[in-house]
Amino acid sequence: MKRIILLLAGLTLTLVLLGVLVASSSPDGLESVAEALGFAGLASEGEAWSPFADYQFRPINSPWPAQVAAGLVGVALMYGFGVLFGRLVRRGRRS
Amino acid sequence: MHIPDGFLSTPVWAALDLAAVPSVGYFVRRTQQRFDDARIPLLGVLGSFVFAAQMINFPIVAGTSGHLIGGALLALTLGPSAATVVMTAILFVQALVFQDGGLLALGANVINMAVLGVWVGYLPMKVFGHLGRRARSVAAFAGGWLSLMAAAVFAATQLSLSSVAPAGPLFASMLGIHALTGIAEGLITAVTLGAIERLNPAFVLPAEAA
Repeated sequence: MKRIILLLAGLTLTLVLLGVLVASSSPDGLESVAEALGFAGLASEGEAWSPFADYQFRPINSPWPAQVAAGLVGVALMYGFGVLFGRLVRRGRRS
Repeated sequence: MHIPDGFLSTPVWAALDLAAVPSVGYFVRRTQQRFDDARIPLLGVLGSFVFAAQMINFPIVAGTSGHLIGGALLALTLGPSAATVVMTAILFVQALVFQDGGLLALGANVINMAVLGVWVGYLPMKVFGHLGRRARSVAAFAGGWLSLMAAAVFAATQLSLSSVAPAGPLFASMLGIHALTGIAEGLITAVTLGAIERLNPAFVLPAEAA
């Protein structure tokens, strides 16, 4: 179990730090379908109300550090969720 | 595949938001009843890993990119009930913090990727996983591919019900592009699970002996 956790944690950090190297800014599947079929304009884009919109930490003006910062925040939030959910599962077990 | 706000008509997103709440509630309860305590440390680790993997858009065909969704990967490591809950949390964080996927469309995205994508991704291993190592590899690949296709069929249905485009081209293009993205999803799922299975042969679910 320990080795699996280390493997996954290592992969996660690699993705956060180096993902930008392979990243493509092209639209994803649904976005390109929406463009091809002419309904892309329906998306309520609005402004970036979140400081982390589009996986860029807005206060940082350089794309790579801004994406790494956003990635680390997301990873931390998901880890935190996992810990809380784990507690909920244990508590459900006792009741 | 994250549907933004604006694409779905009000009855469609509202109905899916209403359907998503009890569905996820049911899978939380089910996880509490049957989750393997030894895997509790993995809830955070795998959630983080799939979140990070979803951030990376790689090129698929000219002008279109794709990224891992990870439904099958989560289902085959955490079991499908816990995988639904963790994927729901990922979609929440993406919509609320990173503005990826609509807030009103969150129910649709949860039903497509966290419920359907996860459970369809689990199916091939459940059926063929006892047939040995090569079959398990193929089942992991098929789970990844099918989970994307299932989510694409649901997304196309919801878009079609919302009358954004004629059903024919909508289904053809959604399924066409995700059939390709699904190959990457299947490969990443099979390679990652293969590496994990080499570290611990009983780890990938459902375990072969079971």
